[in-house]
Amino acid sequence: MAKNGILIAVEGMDGSGKSTQAKLLYHWLRAKGLPVFHTEWNSSKIVKEATKKGKNTQRLLPMTFHMIHAADFADRWTQQIEPVLEIGGIVICDRYKYTAMARDGSRDVPREVIEETYSFAREPDLTLYFDVPVDVSFDRIAKGRPRLKFYEAGMDMGWTTDPFESYRIFQGKVSEIYSRLVEEGRIIRLDAEGTVAEVQSRVRTTFDKHIDLSSVQVIDQSDRLAQNLSESDIDWLSYSGGDGK
Amino acid sequence: MTHAGKLIVIEGPDHVGRTLHARLLSARLKANGIATHIIGLARSELMGEIVKSRTADIHQLNWRTRSLLYATDLHDQIKHEAEPLLDAGFVVIADRYTLTPRIREEVRGGDGDWIESLYANTPDPDAMIVLHAGPRRLLNRIMFGERLEALNHFESGMDLALSTSITSSFLQYQKILRQEFQKAGKKSSATLIPTRHTVEEVHDKIWDSVRPVVENMLQPIDGN
Repeated sequence: MAKNGILIAVEGMDGSGKSTQAKLLYHWLRAKGLPVFHTEWNSSKIVKEATKKGKNTQRLLPMTFHMIHAADFADRWTQQIEPVLEIGGIVICDRYKYTAMARDGSRDVPREVIEETYSFAREPDLTLYFDVPVDVSFDRIAKGRPRLKFYEAGMDMGWTTDPFESYRIFQGKVSEIYSRLVEEGRIIRLDAEGTVAEVQSRVRTTFDKHIDLSSVQVIDQSDRLAQNLSESDIDWLSYSGGDGK
Repeated sequence: MTHAGKLIVIEGPDHVGRTLHARLLSARLKANGIATHIIGLARSELMGEIVKSRTADIHQLNWRTRSLLYATDLHDQIKHEAEPLLDAGFVVIADRYTLTPRIREEVRGGDGDWIESLYANTPDPDAMIVLHAGPRRLLNRIMFGERLEALNHFESGMDLALSTSITSSFLQYQKILRQEFQKAGKKSSATLIPTRHTVEEVHDKIWDSVRPVVENMLQPIDGN
């Protein structure tokens, strides 16, 4: 099957700045008039309901945690990602299957199981791994927050009773798996230290190096204008040359 | 992995008599001194409520998402109920297990091997029974039960566009399902039992195939 569209993924630990950068990447491509779509981990409506319940009741175990996040991804894959790729568009995924490998893998779900569950999701054309030292991302997340969420901190694994200590252990494992994925060439390491602008400039450079946009059809300017207009209030007077006729 | 208990799986389409026979089997085992527990589709603490209250939405989902939601549901029951109880020596009866979630997506074009992989780490059944009946018999039961108006789009296979009539779609859909259940049942050396006979006769057949598995656990009602 011919590979359609351009699939971009961003990965990294919480607090690595990847979501901010992914959105900037999205706005940049959109400003070029390209058909681009942005989607986030754990955002499919019906599945989110179930995930929320599982988290609130602390009932999720590594395997059900794995399955339910895969359900979210599968829903977005068939409803959003694949259809956009199908017509040659660009999709930016804020977290992709490597997040499952890192998080579920840290929860001792075997790598083969994770690979098989996500076997329908092809390798992206570019996966940027936003690498910051564990201490930096830890500070960004932990600073000013009285408490961490149960699953966010990996408390379900029972490593320790201290949420902050548990979070540190969890992030250490996640970071190790990401590093392995970098070594395997599945994801590309990007230095995510520095200001938002500095990192964005690195993102664009890496993007340009790996992605050829020449095959992507630009959306006609007339369509973009019409679309903008259709979403705004129309001041008829300014369209009618000022005489209101 | 070996458990002190046993896992008995009863599979088959809706209205075939699965749930009734799971309950009868459970009652008989209990009378013979064996603790039992019944699991089944959409019964988990985690997913049961959502699956039941959002049935129509779930039927609208693509087969992959639906498969993953049902896999989550079953894994929740396996980890929280089946495995601990099997370890403790219960007989766990699964009123549908991994066959139904696979077959009903396969007939809709889903990838059976991939769906099977979602259940790779689940306990193997010690005995498996597939109940089957002719489509018209199933439909007659529905009519007699005054539930014809509750027949839904998905369970009648209307999404396969076999017919514009819900009853004739149901008949064609159930015919396909029956063939698939029988094929899969034979492949996994399940006991295939038609439910056209009386409840007692069907139950006795089920008991015949379950008994060897639980033989050394039985504590007869009349003592030794």
